[in-house]
Amino acid sequence: MSEVLARLVRSPQGAIGLGIVSLVGIAVVAGPWLAPHDPNAISILARYKPPGGQYLLGTDQLGRDLLSRLLHGAQSTVIMAAIATLCGTVMGALIGTTSAYVGGRTDDAVMRTIDAVMAIPSLLMSLLVVSMLGRSQANAVLAIAIAFTPGMARITRSVALAVRKQDYVSAAIARGEGTAYIVMGEMVPNVVAPIIVEMTIRVAFSVMLFATLSFLGLGAQPPTPEWGLMVSEARKFMHLSTWMILWPCCAIALVAIGFNLLGDGLRDALNPRT
Amino acid sequence: MSDAPILAVADYTLDYRTRLGAVRALDAIELTVGRGEVVGLVGESGSGKTSLAWAIMRALPANAIELRGTIRLGAVDLRAQSGTDMTHIRGRRIGMVFQDPAASLNPTLTLGAQFVEALTTHHGLSQAEAWSEGERMFARVGLADPPALMRRYPHEASGGEKQRVIIATAFACRPELILFDEPTTALDVITARQILDLFLELQRETGVASLYISHDLAVVSQIASRVAVIQRGRIVEQGGVSAVFARPAHAYTRQLLAAVPRADRRLVAEMSGHGKQLAAVRDLTVRYGRPSLIADLLGRTKPMVTGNRAISIEIRWGEILGIVGESGSGKSTLARALTGLARFEGSLLFDGKRIGGATDMTGGYRRDVQIVFQHPDSSLNPRQRIRDILGRPFRLYGVPDGRPIAEAIADLLRLVRLPAEFADRFPHQLSGGEKQRVAIARAFASRPRLVICDEVTSSLDVSVQAAVIELLVDLQRKSGAAYIFISHDINLVRQIAHRIAVMYRGELVETIAPEQLSTHGPTHPYTAALMAAVPTIRAATTHAGGTS
Repeated sequence: MSEVLARLVRSPQGAIGLGIVSLVGIAVVAGPWLAPHDPNAISILARYKPPGGQYLLGTDQLGRDLLSRLLHGAQSTVIMAAIATLCGTVMGALIGTTSAYVGGRTDDAVMRTIDAVMAIPSLLMSLLVVSMLGRSQANAVLAIAIAFTPGMARITRSVALAVRKQDYVSAAIARGEGTAYIVMGEMVPNVVAPIIVEMTIRVAFSVMLFATLSFLGLGAQPPTPEWGLMVSEARKFMHLSTWMILWPCCAIALVAIGFNLLGDGLRDALNPRT
Repeated sequence: MSDAPILAVADYTLDYRTRLGAVRALDAIELTVGRGEVVGLVGESGSGKTSLAWAIMRALPANAIELRGTIRLGAVDLRAQSGTDMTHIRGRRIGMVFQDPAASLNPTLTLGAQFVEALTTHHGLSQAEAWSEGERMFARVGLADPPALMRRYPHEASGGEKQRVIIATAFACRPELILFDEPTTALDVITARQILDLFLELQRETGVASLYISHDLAVVSQIASRVAVIQRGRIVEQGGVSAVFARPAHAYTRQLLAAVPRADRRLVAEMSGHGKQLAAVRDLTVRYGRPSLIADLLGRTKPMVTGNRAISIEIRWGEILGIVGESGSGKSTLARALTGLARFEGSLLFDGKRIGGATDMTGGYRRDVQIVFQHPDSSLNPRQRIRDILGRPFRLYGVPDGRPIAEAIADLLRLVRLPAEFADRFPHQLSGGEKQRVAIARAFASRPRLVICDEVTSSLDVSVQAAVIELLVDLQRKSGAAYIFISHDINLVRQIAHRIAVMYRGELVETIAPEQLSTHGPTHPYTAALMAAVPTIRAATTHAGGTS
């Protein structure tokens, strides 16, 4: 594990990605303590303040401190995105590995269904799910997880097909092992590495997707300091203060870039031969 | 001509930089190849023989550190050559033939184009001249219909044909020296024999100096005039083939020679009497391939590939049944059918019970019939510790005598002569031979009555192979289990089998006892061809290679 970390830090994209993601991690864990103000404290006298002085990043239309809101929002945005990705990954990995193991007609049927689902863009898919289940943060998470499942299943299956041909799987079948043990005990541990890489990159998409849902009013609800929601609210006051739309956008972009770089770095670190 | 050697390697020492510090790959190598001489370089995997080839070709990996020594090609110091200078030497003055013909040909170019490219760059021939030279050389190396073959892509040619093309290219450039790095290892026994004969013929005709790298002592004894034995980067013995093989001076050479399977040295006790039948196979046929759903709907059917055709054979209690044949002869398919990994037609009778397919293979059958695969790297899950790998059969079938699992695992490791501490290790921390022992231990955990050994030693070095075979024979004597021992090496099978079944293109062509094979010879021509193709060590006689 430490060996992988050492290789990760050695590559530039891995080091930068790890740095950004660590910063985001600190904001997620310690954000509420680091925040200088209450994120929801309204101050009529200090509206549309530019960065500087008492408010490091300025204030919004209600005089709330933008830095405090961003730090508090990190929790709702990043954690929700990570949970959504994790759910999607686990579902996808299980479907993909099982499909590769069972093979034959079942594999055909599963994969063609997944092709059909993948034909729907993930944003449309999540919009569909949220509008069916009702608008809430939990439903947005579920929607993103469902939207990610087919892609993860496809990627996992391609790796699992190679694992399926290994003799240790044949040995397990010849021994008379059950499907559940072969999939979970023999195959899944050997497909984990590429899945982790893909998952890291997808967290970035998930953050953007989650922010988009909130922006459209289908995810987090006001007054939650969620980043996408902040952008959506700030849109109306753009001409009064550019800062209040700029900062949450930067935060979203930074997280997306950080996870993308980390994923790239991990891909190299976990496959030393390529 | 002169006595100056074509290739002279002197005091050459090479290290590889790794995370754990420098590792010595080659240590004070002294080696010469004279004009028209074939020098064999013999060693086991990891002995540094391929590193030496790369050093001569000046294509060492980036982490190689050359400490001292010289490599000279005629009067040229190869170590002093720049990268561009070497491109004029490689191919034109030094040719190379690699182990895997599929990997050394570019899959996107036709065979003819690759041949023509070598000749136009190295000898300045025009396209048309090179093409007609190609047709001549392709015919010379025994390829049928050269004009058609030159227009084909590598995937449209067989492994033997590809290796012939590479040999044709290497000889056509008329180099002073050709390096052969295990050129027949990836090929079938019979194809390998043909390639060896071709090499000998071309070598005699052109008189090119050759360095022939191989792990196979028998091959080297047949083609080389001098041989160097390399062990862990050090040449331990060097001399004329007949001298080294008849009177090996170094202990390692003696050990290697003793490990080579010899048909006249039987390792098992003969079966007493006839023995009761354990399993019987009647008209077993295996077909591969699955029509796709869409092809089905469109009414298109693809013919299925037949892996086994109507095989009938029986195995008796405690018997070692050897199955030989070249790759693609259906040996492994039979093993897969018997372990429920391939669907089959026909009947299988095991211990009086009829087994119709994988669904009839209940826990009892699975426990009684175990399989050991060829590659331990692939048959042991890299993410599991040895403890988990060996513990699995106990969890499935129960521990004999109700002992704790840890104790049973330690016993199992002792049974295959491995220390009990290995239970904590991962497969990648073990050597190839140790891994195969773990795979054998796993098969014996359930106290099986039939163990199928599918080429269990062919990925191992010759000395390791001898130890594994000895272990298998010993286990067989102790446990009384019957073996189906599958191998491409008829000498090895003749050493340990009670009966030998010969397979060819999915069919069983002959079943014969080894004694009968030694006294009366084979009855089927394919068995005779197989026996003739396997090289045996020639020590006393003078070799056929060409020093003049």
